[in-house]
Amino acid sequence: MDERASAESGTCVDAAREPGAGVLLPRRSDLSGEVPTDTDVVIVGGGLAGCALAYFLATQGVELAVLERAELNREASGTNAGSFHFQIAIHQLTGAGADADRDRLLADVRLLVRAAAMWRDLERELRADLGVHVTGGLMVAETPEQLQILVTKQRIERDGGLDTEVLTGAELRNFAPYLAEDLAGASYCATEGYANPLLAAPAFAARAFEAGAAVRTYAPVERIEQLQDAGAARFAVHHARGKVRAHRVVNAAGAWAHELARGNGFELPLRAEGLHMNVTEPRDRLLVPLIQHIGRRLTLKQSSNGTFIVGGGWPARAEPWPARPSVRWSSVAGNAAVARRVVPALADVRVIHTWAGVWAASKDLLPVVGESARVPGYFTCVVPTGFTLGPLMASLLAGQMTGTSATLPSEYSPDRAPTLARGGARQGGPS
Amino acid sequence: MNGRREEEVGLLVVGGGPAGLVAAELAARHGLTVLLVDERATFGGQIYRQPGPGFVVRDPRRVGRDYWAGVALVEAARGAGVELRARTAVLSLRGTTAVCLTEGDEHVTLLRARRVLVAPGASDRPVPFPGWTLPGVVTAGGAQALVKASRVAPGTRVAFAGSGPLALAFPAQLRHLGVNVVLALEAGPAPRAPTVARLVVAGWGNAALLRDALTYRARLLGARVPLRYGRIVVRAEGEDRVEAVVHAAADADWRAIPDSEERLEVDTLCVGYGFVPSTELLRLAGCQFGYDENLGGLVVEVDAWQRTNVEGVLAAGDGTGVRGALVAMAQARLAALGAAADLGAVSRARAARLARPVRRQLAAKERFRRALLPLYAVGPGIYELATPETVVCRCEEVTLARLEEAMEATVDTDALKSYTRAGMGLCQGRSCQPQIGAVLARRTGAASEAGSLLDGANEARRPVPRLSGGQLAALAGTTPRPPVRPAAIGVLADDTVPDRGLFVGG
Repeated sequence: MDERASAESGTCVDAAREPGAGVLLPRRSDLSGEVPTDTDVVIVGGGLAGCALAYFLATQGVELAVLERAELNREASGTNAGSFHFQIAIHQLTGAGADADRDRLLADVRLLVRAAAMWRDLERELRADLGVHVTGGLMVAETPEQLQILVTKQRIERDGGLDTEVLTGAELRNFAPYLAEDLAGASYCATEGYANPLLAAPAFAARAFEAGAAVRTYAPVERIEQLQDAGAARFAVHHARGKVRAHRVVNAAGAWAHELARGNGFELPLRAEGLHMNVTEPRDRLLVPLIQHIGRRLTLKQSSNGTFIVGGGWPARAEPWPARPSVRWSSVAGNAAVARRVVPALADVRVIHTWAGVWAASKDLLPVVGESARVPGYFTCVVPTGFTLGPLMASLLAGQMTGTSATLPSEYSPDRAPTLARGGARQGGPS
Repeated sequence: MNGRREEEVGLLVVGGGPAGLVAAELAARHGLTVLLVDERATFGGQIYRQPGPGFVVRDPRRVGRDYWAGVALVEAARGAGVELRARTAVLSLRGTTAVCLTEGDEHVTLLRARRVLVAPGASDRPVPFPGWTLPGVVTAGGAQALVKASRVAPGTRVAFAGSGPLALAFPAQLRHLGVNVVLALEAGPAPRAPTVARLVVAGWGNAALLRDALTYRARLLGARVPLRYGRIVVRAEGEDRVEAVVHAAADADWRAIPDSEERLEVDTLCVGYGFVPSTELLRLAGCQFGYDENLGGLVVEVDAWQRTNVEGVLAAGDGTGVRGALVAMAQARLAALGAAADLGAVSRARAARLARPVRRQLAAKERFRRALLPLYAVGPGIYELATPETVVCRCEEVTLARLEEAMEATVDTDALKSYTRAGMGLCQGRSCQPQIGAVLARRTGAASEAGSLLDGANEARRPVPRLSGGQLAALAGTTPRPPVRPAAIGVLADDTVPDRGLFVGG
């Protein structure tokens, strides 16, 4: 990938030769260019969803502009851990049991299988190093009840086309000797892994730019005006540097999408949440797969440079933009406790840094993707588990907007009731 | 199994250097319950650093005046009833609640204080130049700590390069302790008559400082150590460790003058281009900062009683701008009086009266410092020594070339960090941020005026025109996060924190 990306074009920067040869970043001089005054699509928000959508639309010949208020990829898209969790988040459901939700879970699995395929191919498609590592992933159970859920989950995954297996006893001990000995079991999915969340959206943006998209930073959108009798342009998007008329707009503002939508008179089923992560010093390789917990807040991996990244949905204190959420000490301490419980050898590994990011939470954790019936031409593209599913949802929305693929399922509709419950949502923990 | 201990205290003092010790003592004398913590094994800070555990002073004359000054401060604080807790790092500070960790403890301690005085001191200004990461290249502070705490000489042929009013103290002390110092370079100009005259006037009341400076100079000259003014180190050479130092004449901006290079074989290069305040805890607490390269860069803003903009949090000493131990101790007195007055332990009128001579002393010191600036103002050339191959971020091994490439994509420091990993390692940017800030400032020029600048109230991203300058933006730009010092997962872990788990809908 290294030579391809750096030799590729004059519009991109090869910033990090080692590690991460072939990193693809858009140029500052391009991002600060003029904002067009007329276009087909205006995408508000330069996160992973916005940049990926820009790429999929621009490569299909759609004229568009992306307006980002600050730097690309600086909020949820760049502050998550970059893990792909393809095993279904069965613990997001009610206590009613997996069988009760079987149909929806099957649909989830099929979607996740498609996301897995997309991530596997994405570095080739974008001709850029995204730091994709397929490591496999374990979901551990502490109790017999949790283990039973893993067994049920595994059957649904098999039926949906995702290969997973449940390991217990000596088999698990041999496969993952670093896990606490008294865990009840774990399910394993070989296709799970991670990418570098700091590189994915910028690479999409750079390729979108090449394909003609006007990707612009430091262009905060103030309001989206709906125009009457204005021909093709149904919207005037007012931003800090002027005004752009557009036929369609896409709200890809992530954790602030619901605030933007309110300006046009409707509520999105979204809210902003703070999310905590712990990062340790680098250590010799202890474990390869991702580890998450079926019943407690833990996601953990040892990244390619040896540091452990530990999270799992511990909260951070929300602060008004542009401040980042601030760290709650209880999240440092609680997250560390679960990590040590599951991987005892972490006890003497030192945390050198924490971070807190936002994420856009929907009550049902389903994507909020599609056109609003209330405002024709107004689309939304926000994905709570946005790193795993963001690129896939962006490509599906691009297919719908260009008429090249089927419309998205109604359960993703931005018009669904904000209180729509799909059991209880997991308390944080997008990926 | 693991919980955490909780304690309450009137005044928590963070840092056991001159400022911390003096403030703690005075506050305790005014009736406050005072706990002083320091992450090192002994108190006294860098200047009055005490020998490490296991050392016994047999010949008091040989340990030097600083040793005795330190002993006196520690004894005075102890005598006033201050609880001194060594090997204790503050990992996090929010409001006046601190999370502390004492070495060897199995869990952290949550300290709820009514006032917190942060007196974190300063560390060597990191100056990247080709070869600066070679073994044998040490900072002045590092060499001094080695000598003071462990009584170990850093090498057998030592060159010193640095600047600042006290720069010559290092080679002089090293020489005094028997180290073979073969060259001393001072980046600033040699003192000339008009400046010296101004110093004598301004130095009224600063006799001790002047005397020290002259003593150091005399000692070096007496020991026949070549002392060269107006010269800077441009690179260190060597295969596996430093074998030679290359130095050059510097112009007024500390930029190397072409064709003036000289080379000298050494086995140790000691670098001391002044100090930078340790700001991480104050930044984490949300304090407001200003910028002054001559005070070390980022300097926290305090009022007449050393109070920051964060309720209950005070700051004193070199951590608020590097001015030396005497100023640090004077600030500490103001802080102690201010905290005592705020907590009702002493009346405002009495505090003001007691503060009056301290303020006069501080004003005199400030005049002296300003008079010295023509000699020791830090030149921008100090941050132009790195070449493209020079590793700027040592922890993540990021070269200047890679940083400059990434700057084609962004000049936002948080984004730059994420693209290159510079500043993500063990030191969390302490040794690369000044250089990165300077490079960003050069690249963005006037454009940086509009860039994102530090706002204490919230972590770095709100424009504050008053604090313009690319360096400030860069220095302040990355978001401060706990823990301020590395701490093991097993020590941080607290099983009593409720995990709401994941089944919340049922």
